[in-house]
Amino acid sequence: AYRVSNDGKPTKFQPPPKPVIIDRKTQKEESRFLSPEFIPPRGRTDPLKYYIERKDMIQRRKVFNIPEFYVGHVLAVTTADPCASDKSKRFVGICIQRGGKGLGATFVLRNVIEDQGVEICYELYSPRIQAIEVLKLEKRLDENLMYLRDALPEYSTFDVNMRPVPRMAHEEIPVNKLQVRMKPKPWSKRWERPKYNIKGIKFELPEHKMKAAQKWSQPWLEFDMLREYDTSKIEEKIRKELSEELEK
Amino acid sequence: MMPIWTKSGEKHAVTLLKVQDCHVLRYVSKEESGGKTAKLLVGGKNVSPFSKPESAHEIFKEAGVPRKQKVTTFNVTDDAIIKPGTPLYAAHFRPGQFVDVTAKTIGKGFQGVMKRWGFQGQPASHGQTKTHRRPGAISTNKAAKVYRGKKMPGKMGNIYRTSFGLKVWRINTKHDIIYVNGSVPGHTNCLVKVRDSKLPTYKDCNKNPPFPTFFADGDEELPEDLFDEEIFQFTDPSIKFA
Repeated sequence: AYRVSNDGKPTKFQPPPKPVIIDRKTQKEESRFLSPEFIPPRGRTDPLKYYIERKDMIQRRKVFNIPEFYVGHVLAVTTADPCASDKSKRFVGICIQRGGKGLGATFVLRNVIEDQGVEICYELYSPRIQAIEVLKLEKRLDENLMYLRDALPEYSTFDVNMRPVPRMAHEEIPVNKLQVRMKPKPWSKRWERPKYNIKGIKFELPEHKMKAAQKWSQPWLEFDMLREYDTSKIEEKIRKELSEELEK
Repeated sequence: MMPIWTKSGEKHAVTLLKVQDCHVLRYVSKEESGGKTAKLLVGGKNVSPFSKPESAHEIFKEAGVPRKQKVTTFNVTDDAIIKPGTPLYAAHFRPGQFVDVTAKTIGKGFQGVMKRWGFQGQPASHGQTKTHRRPGAISTNKAAKVYRGKKMPGKMGNIYRTSFGLKVWRINTKHDIIYVNGSVPGHTNCLVKVRDSKLPTYKDCNKNPPFPTFFADGDEELPEDLFDEEIFQFTDPSIKFA
């Protein structure tokens, strides 16, 4: 039945406004970035060792700015070199992998210069590094881009004199869903196998080969409880420590 | 283990050793021990007193100290004798000093001759019947016996070994940590004995160490971190070559 309003005319039923859930918690988590080398690996080492290493890392970060970057970003790194004229070297490349924990954390930059692929592994906390600039911010579909070695060279070439692309707003690093085309097989690793779990390659292999690669899948791995390493609480503590120390 | 950088930009790997509740337990004179020098018994790491009989606690009760997990002897000259019961700290050592580190190596259990002694073994194919990792011949015909000490399979590891001439790069006085160059025998969190180096090249390297030891009386106030001269400290800006 229609409701009768104050005027006396029958009005159509207005449903109540739908509740809008504002996820404040998830928004906060995404904006806080913790560099992966701060998270201690699972093991039987004394946590005091990680605490002392973190103090050194924080000390270095106070003096030298290490920007937030992920695998897939294009970085320019200037290092001090006694042999070069000008005593400094600048290298531009895409970050393919970030490895190591603590002070020995490394990242590998790849570029193709004059038709020769070059990869340089830099240590984040090495005192030789004089500047790290992020030229292009973009995440890729995978966390390890080692397959770029077997991809066509156009995907690894970046202009050495590239200008830094300005970041639009202080939110959400864009994810580049680029599917990379590969050189003909043989590759350095069998990237089609499920153990690498690569989503960023456009596989142009015949269907029976893709099916044969699935033979090496280990579907029980994601349910293995002994492999679980929940880092949320550890990350919270380290973030608190970091923010307190960097404000001092 | 951690990396450490020098002022010229070179990287060295460093092991962290923590001095945990070390106390001097007893003084044994030269005549008592029958050796060339007097000895000091030192105990490390505190441990619960309930797992050993009362008779084992005598040394610790005399010194007034809880039961220690490990007791070692140090050969000591007469002018370096310390009263039993004094605690020993990491500040006993100074950066730039050289040190010998002794510990029990990681136990590998019963191992074959290839892993234990580094023998080459035999080829994998070309007609070898059931012989790929065996020792082969163990003696000659003329000897007509097997010599004592012949390298054969057996229990490997879990024995005391020393790495000599390790440089001390840095000392943390607040947490009692010694940063020692290179690797050290033993697994993580194992007990380790640190001594001044006995190598002849480092005989004159100790320039004014705290003698007989560093007493935390409050007279000397050391900074929290003591660095060697060549270390790059993270408070400095990045290196620039001139």
